[in-house]
Amino acid sequence: MTSPESRTDLFHDYSLGIAYDEMFEAPGQPRPHYRALYRRLQSLSPEEFRRRKTMTELSMLQDGVGFTVYRQEEGIERVWPMDPVPRIIPAREWKHIEAGLVQRLTALNLFLKDIYHDQLILRDRIIDPALIYQGTFFRREFMGATVPRDIYVHVCGTDLIRNDAGEYLVLEDNCRTPSGVSYMLQNRQVLKRVFPQLFEQYDVRVTDDYTAALLDVLKYIAPGGRSDPTIVLLSPGIYNSAYFEHTFLAQRMGIELVEGRDLVIDQNRVYMRTTRGLEPVDVIYRRIDDDFLDPLTFRPDSTLGVPGLVNAYRAGQVALANSIGTGIADDKGIYPFVPDMIRYYLKQDAILPNVETFRPLVPSHRSHVLANLDKLVVKTVNESGGYGMLIGPASTARQREEFRDYVQNRPRDFIAQPVIQLSVHPTFVDGDRLEGRHLDLRPFILCGEKITIVPGALTRVALPRGSLVVNSSQGGGSKDTWVLANGDE
Amino acid sequence: MLSRVADALFWMSRYLERAEHIARLLDVCFHLEMDLRGVLAGLPELNWTSLAAILQQQPVPPHRFEGASPQAALSAWLTFDLQNPESIMSCVSRARYNARSIRGSINSEMWKELNKLYWQLCDPAFSNQARESPHEFYWAVECGSHLVQGVCDATLTHEEGWQFIQLGKFLERAGKTLRILDIQYQLLQELIDPGDRPLANLQWAAVLRSCRAYEAYQKLYVGRIEPEHVVDFLLLHAESPRSVRFSLESAAQALMAIEGASGGRGHSKAVRLLGQVLSDLKFAELEQILKGDLHQFLSGVMDRCNQVSRAIQAQYSLQ
Repeated sequence: MTSPESRTDLFHDYSLGIAYDEMFEAPGQPRPHYRALYRRLQSLSPEEFRRRKTMTELSMLQDGVGFTVYRQEEGIERVWPMDPVPRIIPAREWKHIEAGLVQRLTALNLFLKDIYHDQLILRDRIIDPALIYQGTFFRREFMGATVPRDIYVHVCGTDLIRNDAGEYLVLEDNCRTPSGVSYMLQNRQVLKRVFPQLFEQYDVRVTDDYTAALLDVLKYIAPGGRSDPTIVLLSPGIYNSAYFEHTFLAQRMGIELVEGRDLVIDQNRVYMRTTRGLEPVDVIYRRIDDDFLDPLTFRPDSTLGVPGLVNAYRAGQVALANSIGTGIADDKGIYPFVPDMIRYYLKQDAILPNVETFRPLVPSHRSHVLANLDKLVVKTVNESGGYGMLIGPASTARQREEFRDYVQNRPRDFIAQPVIQLSVHPTFVDGDRLEGRHLDLRPFILCGEKITIVPGALTRVALPRGSLVVNSSQGGGSKDTWVLANGDE
Repeated sequence: MLSRVADALFWMSRYLERAEHIARLLDVCFHLEMDLRGVLAGLPELNWTSLAAILQQQPVPPHRFEGASPQAALSAWLTFDLQNPESIMSCVSRARYNARSIRGSINSEMWKELNKLYWQLCDPAFSNQARESPHEFYWAVECGSHLVQGVCDATLTHEEGWQFIQLGKFLERAGKTLRILDIQYQLLQELIDPGDRPLANLQWAAVLRSCRAYEAYQKLYVGRIEPEHVVDFLLLHAESPRSVRFSLESAAQALMAIEGASGGRGHSKAVRLLGQVLSDLKFAELEQILKGDLHQFLSGVMDRCNQVSRAIQAQYSLQ
């Protein structure tokens, strides 16, 4: 091995801050599971690393991995940057995450069944009924409907973060149409192609099985247990920012990618228009929000959906994944109650804790929030993508006044949380060195016959120095995420 | 197969084939221009005019390329201009746009090659080559098209979707070859003076090159290039993949396969129309055609190809 002192190495400017560092326990001292990677990185010159980084970008551009910001037919296409330094999760940490998520999703599905049927959790006053009824994504149209196998959330992307002690916390669940899994899969493919050496000395668990596992779930929910069901992926179309993912998943699963205009309903049965006429469809993996799914039930102005689809679903003639009305489970106003749900339905304590959350509806919380706007993060309960958010320490007096107004007048629509210094990870910056950047972790949970979590996740990283916002729309990037097979070395 | 997907596959393939033809025609034009300069002043311009006629191009909008020579303006207009729906760039963009909307129905290798071609065209360093060494540039475009088609043939299952790709490709190829023959034959008919023979030879070679059929022709016919042989080879030859007959035969095979898969009874209008025009070519007598009005014959074939296209669109609701 070459001596790292003999040239400028990638870590020449690396310093530890107050946040938990994924790689280092002390300056120059990597955690056991990062040692081999650290040695490998030390042996690389910045030029060499830059070359590989360029290769990852080219590879992604050519594969057409990207999200799109469309203005005209030929809009702007951006590749979501992948940082080539992988994030490593040791086996024992993954076991903990897995157990926590299985528990959480079990409870969330029980909660959704309860809320759309008997509402015992409301009767027992664990959750205030008003919170549910005022929730934007509670679908009263869907009360009493039976869904296949009583599963509401089939695919969930739960965002985890680590606090300064390295403890994993749940930041939010995405129970509607979570995206990002294609990046989890694609990042691995690209990294293997451009940086195979990094994988030496590691037993990284494979993620490739995800699409097969998803297909199993979709088959499992086929109406009336139909064997060999026809499954399709319903996409809003080419202008959707996650369109790449839709095509990627459809292709990997070998199912048809359809748009609303390809489907037609006749006597509560769903058909697709083909060159041979109409063909029946049994299961729809939909990547369209509730609001746009069916103009007869939801937004009448939507042209993306299929008129009559909700009725066909209620009649049990077609299965939808995810089900309708799951948004009430990832409403941030409901989020603080997930540990209570786990206790209520499963008689267990939550394995993965929530982030401490203040609800302005509670008078004592409200006064705390109003007095500490400059220290807290205030979030809208139904926004995602890093929008509608106040980060107290980085805010201006005007922004704080704006949010003070919101919190006072629309307490149901906001929550507040302390600023968490998300954990940091060495990330290639300015084309010549590694520096710590904040990141989160989104594993994907599949709920079918059993709950499956493919050992891997999407790691999103905030690329600007000090930034805590990891969303792709806000200058975030991603990393390949390695779950180790055994041992913690 | 979804009708929308069939439509996108058909047009993806057609636009790609079209881009390839435009690239080849431009490449040939640049070459010919250099050769003709020594022969006769004014000829190179004529050469570009016939290119515009083959591609059915309106004149380049005035002031679009301020200060450029008419040739440079035309080549830029045909190569990069997104305002021109028939430019290489427009065709490749539309091929890619169609492919993008059905990425699940082609495979990732095919998408990747098409996508590479698109990004290559967007790269300023590459587009500079169009001016500095046109041949390299246009050949790269042609290769890009061949790569996509090659990957398609070698890796995509030859079922309905693949047949729609074939259909689009061969209808487009037949159309372009007909146009090239039609325009050039009218133009070159006048070169009958023995003194014009070197020039005629050059021009006819260019026609064959425009269809990438020069070498194949040479293997078949030794010596000077004879117009009748060119017409025979490009119009009626049964085995040359560049001939109109071969293209329409391949299109008919694809259409029959699609129809079989669709479980239709009897033949559809599209199959019947295509079969009729095809049998006219199969049983045609070259002498008869040449004695009569070739232009009329060729435009007749072209019109019927267009009818076939419309019938296909109506039948599979491809718009």
